[in-house]
Amino acid sequence: MSAAPGLERPQVVSHAHQALNYTVFDCKWVPRSARLLCLGSAARGTGLIQLYELRGARLELLREIEKPKPIKCGTFGATSLQQRYLATGDFDGNLNIWNLEAPEIPVYSVKGHKEIINSIDGVGGLGIGEGAPEIVTGSRDGTVKVWDPRQKDTPVANMEPVQGESKRDCWTVAFGNAYNQEERVVCGGYDNGDIKLFDLKTMSLRWETNIKNGVCSVEFDRKDINMNKLVATSLEGKFHVFDMRTQHPTKGFASVSEKAQKSTIWQVRHLPQNRDIFMTSGGSGSLHLWKYEYPAQRSRKDSEGAEMGVAGSVSLLQNVTLSTQPISSLDWSPDKKGLCVCGAFDQTVRVLIVTKLNKI
Amino acid sequence: LWLREHRWHQTPTAVFLSLPLRGARATPANIFCSERYLKVSIPPFLFEAILYAPIDDTNSTAKIGNGNIFFTLYKKEPAMWDSLTLENADKEKLQYLRENAVLKAQQKAKEETEAKKATKEEHKKYALEATMKLEEAERKRIEDLKEKERQKVTEELELWKNQQKDADKYKSIQKEGELHQEIGQLNERKSEKMTKTRIPNEGTSKTRPKPTKGHGSSSIFSPNAKEEQLPAPRSAATIKVNFTPRVFPTALRESRVAEEEEWVHKQAEARRTISADLSELEDLKEEEKNPDWLKDKGNKMFAMGNYLAAVNAYNLAVRLNNKLPLLYLNRAACHLKLRNLHKAIEDSSKALELLTPPVPDNKDARVKGYVRRGTAFCQLELYTEGLQDYEAALKIDPKNKNIEKDAEKIRHLIQGTMQGS
Repeated sequence: MSAAPGLERPQVVSHAHQALNYTVFDCKWVPRSARLLCLGSAARGTGLIQLYELRGARLELLREIEKPKPIKCGTFGATSLQQRYLATGDFDGNLNIWNLEAPEIPVYSVKGHKEIINSIDGVGGLGIGEGAPEIVTGSRDGTVKVWDPRQKDTPVANMEPVQGESKRDCWTVAFGNAYNQEERVVCGGYDNGDIKLFDLKTMSLRWETNIKNGVCSVEFDRKDINMNKLVATSLEGKFHVFDMRTQHPTKGFASVSEKAQKSTIWQVRHLPQNRDIFMTSGGSGSLHLWKYEYPAQRSRKDSEGAEMGVAGSVSLLQNVTLSTQPISSLDWSPDKKGLCVCGAFDQTVRVLIVTKLNKI
Repeated sequence: LWLREHRWHQTPTAVFLSLPLRGARATPANIFCSERYLKVSIPPFLFEAILYAPIDDTNSTAKIGNGNIFFTLYKKEPAMWDSLTLENADKEKLQYLRENAVLKAQQKAKEETEAKKATKEEHKKYALEATMKLEEAERKRIEDLKEKERQKVTEELELWKNQQKDADKYKSIQKEGELHQEIGQLNERKSEKMTKTRIPNEGTSKTRPKPTKGHGSSSIFSPNAKEEQLPAPRSAATIKVNFTPRVFPTALRESRVAEEEEWVHKQAEARRTISADLSELEDLKEEEKNPDWLKDKGNKMFAMGNYLAAVNAYNLAVRLNNKLPLLYLNRAACHLKLRNLHKAIEDSSKALELLTPPVPDNKDARVKGYVRRGTAFCQLELYTEGLQDYEAALKIDPKNKNIEKDAEKIRHLIQGTMQGS
């Protein structure tokens, strides 16, 4: 953090932190509350879900739930606001949806993948977006599967490698373009640098590209609008911002890329209240806050007259180093602007407040 | 030269001594004084006095001027001296006193320097502390600014939280009533429409009277839009994907750069070395000295069925450059045709040796090497060795049907012989 001249920039203030005795892989705010969940793996090889409440400058443990397999990721994205069921993916490839009031038996459970579920996302819940609630999971077995909690055992969409093809781990998935009941798009990032965009309405591959380094995290700036921007982060400190409004028939989407940190960028998360601000978390334990600026013209015609997108620019608003270990998970609170939680591999979870976001 | 013309007088506490200097110039360095010994030495003049009683040498003064030195010596003990100096002192005592005086003076000098050092240290320390304090102050100022921000933000957070709680409670009470209504409506509609997708269990279950842990809170959207008419689950479909091939399977994790480099180097080396034994090769034409040309010649002969000629061509090529694995490979093929099985084995082995390190580049060559050696072994009825080689070839190139077939055949043969014996 910088002194006097930089005090007009957003500051990242550390509000509370909690040392844990297990490895935390994912942390999520419980919607419409000041509670957060930490998901992870205990030393004895079991999974843990802990529910904390933010009280003053401390985190107070309300509930601890232990499960037989370590849990890698979770989302509230596909559940309604009354129910607030948590969907989790674990190390064994199981997708479970839990009612946190009665967590002994999952509301929905399926052994979705043969290997660890690396990433999970939900859409259609929480009063955001339209259409059926769906959950997408991406796994090390190279497949991306979309599930509907009303349909047991079989996914409603399955993106898998061609028979006989060597598979690549899928490291991240994200929903997007869910602006009406039919449209929906899933983006998957793989460890060889592939980014693939699947259109669920036409059940086809809409776009793919390769960014050379393994893709650690992808996120659309908003799930519930016509797809606007997609940020993909990768190993070796690079991230790309794609302008998704204009797709060129051969060149695909325009992008701008930035090399931020010397280490892997583990996560990118857009601010729910402002879709042009996002935070990236890095392997060196640092957080960077970025702002995207749109170009004067978002699309132009190329030599053949086809529409081509124009990418804007990205500027760094603030950066802060919190830990020596990678910060593997990050979540903004959807209710309070600037409140976020991050979990790092040094077994601490930190609650941060980013100030002055109103002035951006 | 001793200066003896001195005059002195005394009071109970002090002694005043006046010493004329016969034209000599005096400086403070010439005067040496200690508790009981006084010396003035201006070469060649010398005055020294062993004092009657000890004096306070730190406070005593000497004034130089007007051609003489005026000493004011303060006595340690107020008493009247019989004389200025000790008269009847023997030489030894004098000597002793002199030395003592010198020592004492030295000691004093040392102490003085040490005291000076000590004060210097103190000053330094003080300066350091002062700068540290300044820096601390600066740091504190910044910290305070940050703290203020933090507190402001914390207060806002608390405020927001309380607002949330109140809003929750209020809304949940409202919601209760609404939900009951909704259920009524939904049930009606359900009975009307026969074909309806399964209504998600939101509207029917779980109407908690009071928020137990704040979980039963509300949605800002009216329940209508969400709880009915959700589209049916998608009809299942699969999308097949291909992955971008990578030259290196993963970023440096499984990369075999080092080995590939080695192989490239080796090839380059092999091209460059040409055997120096050219004496008997002088009568060869230019092109016949080129191993590659000879190899091509050999290949042509092989294709035409003239195996002996091919072998000759390869032999010559090997003599010129014995590092090209392909020469050995092809010669092995010739030997196979000529049924020189041992030679075939030798040549294939030599070729395989030269084809290290194993990289994708020399895959095909290695497969050929193993296959040829395997064939040779089988024709010698050494079936197990042959099978080994075929399996090695299969490992490199698992998709080759011919090799598979042959390997199967050999396996059957082995089993057959084992059964028979």
